[in-house]
Amino acid sequence: MTRLNIKEATELTLEIGRILLQSGATANRVELMMHKVCTSFGYPHTESYVTPTGIFLSVSDNRDQITTSIKRIENRRIDLGKITRISHMVHDVEKEFCKGGICSLNAEQFKAKLQQIENEKPYPNWLTILCGGLTSGCFCLLFGGSWAEFGVAYAVGVLVSLSLRFLGKLQINNFLMHILGAALVVSFAKLLDLVVPGIKLDNIIIGGIMLLVPGLAFVNAIRDTMSGDLVSGTARAVEALFLAVGIAAGSGVMLKLWALWGF
Amino acid sequence: MQPFDRFTLMQFLWAALSILGFSIRVNLKGSKILLLALGGGLSWAFYLIFLYYSDSLLYSIFGASILVCAYSEIVARAVKVPVSVFVTCVIIPLVPGSSLYYAMQAYIAGNHAAASVHIYKALLISGTIAMAIAVVSSVTNIIYRLFNRF
Repeated sequence: MTRLNIKEATELTLEIGRILLQSGATANRVELMMHKVCTSFGYPHTESYVTPTGIFLSVSDNRDQITTSIKRIENRRIDLGKITRISHMVHDVEKEFCKGGICSLNAEQFKAKLQQIENEKPYPNWLTILCGGLTSGCFCLLFGGSWAEFGVAYAVGVLVSLSLRFLGKLQINNFLMHILGAALVVSFAKLLDLVVPGIKLDNIIIGGIMLLVPGLAFVNAIRDTMSGDLVSGTARAVEALFLAVGIAAGSGVMLKLWALWGF
Repeated sequence: MQPFDRFTLMQFLWAALSILGFSIRVNLKGSKILLLALGGGLSWAFYLIFLYYSDSLLYSIFGASILVCAYSEIVARAVKVPVSVFVTCVIIPLVPGSSLYYAMQAYIAGNHAAASVHIYKALLISGTIAMAIAVVSSVTNIIYRLFNRF
């Protein structure tokens, strides 16, 4: 039974906010979660301001101490599973571990819990790569492809997921990654077209592109704007727009190059 | 095409499978990915059914988005997953990826009129989905507040 001091509370809350924001939660949700955690730790007078690239958090104990921290958020990576687990943990903190500011765990144990969520093993690589193929193949069927086209789209999806994973290791920025990804979709489809006779490329390329479409940024932009977080709403809308333009540019340039080559 | 024939069923299955793949790619675990897949399939099936009866693209997108957002608001609360996670995944089949591609293809071919038509379509579809999500989340907020008050 301990009471977290103001520094520990700030640190833990920022860490929770960082993980949520990096995995792609909306600003409103991050603010809500951080406020919940701080209230459970016994600091109800908390103000936070969240943008897609940074968190400002100010924790006060209502007497003489106030701590303000800023966290810059880089390399965001979509991981909806992490958001779910953090939400569960915040719920547990609220209902189980902390009652009226008195916590049954100390800061180290909370940190260990967060570390555990952070390090939890994702699905094995081969499974996510195969699922990339499944997604693009099924979208190809959905937009009216035949079974042969499904096969090709599956192969394209697998190859693109593989190369995206490789590109992710190089730490290039998101925008460039989408341009390259779209270019790769078109190239792989064109290459397989040389081998497999009698397929139409349109549906295959659309299936591959659906892997890259910024659906999360788009939905988050709407939800942020609706909840009144105008800054992060517009920021995410612009992000979605830029990614869409990037995808179009990447695939367009590659299509033109292949067309110039004579295929 | 009839609204409830084999074609719709197959399309439902494919949409569900693609969303299953998508939810594994974004690292969701447990039995909830089956519910997500069901939601993804439903969104496309609703779209096809609306399209059959109304013959209007935007109306179908709007109706399907409304229904599927309501589905995800309910189910997400039941299985204790953040609603935004759910909505993001199930809305994916309606996202206008194909319009984007066709617009780009028309631009490359130098056919600016067709390209503008497709871009306009993509923008309208995105706007419609946005509207539907906004409507459902606002209505849910109001209902939630009413229930908490009384």
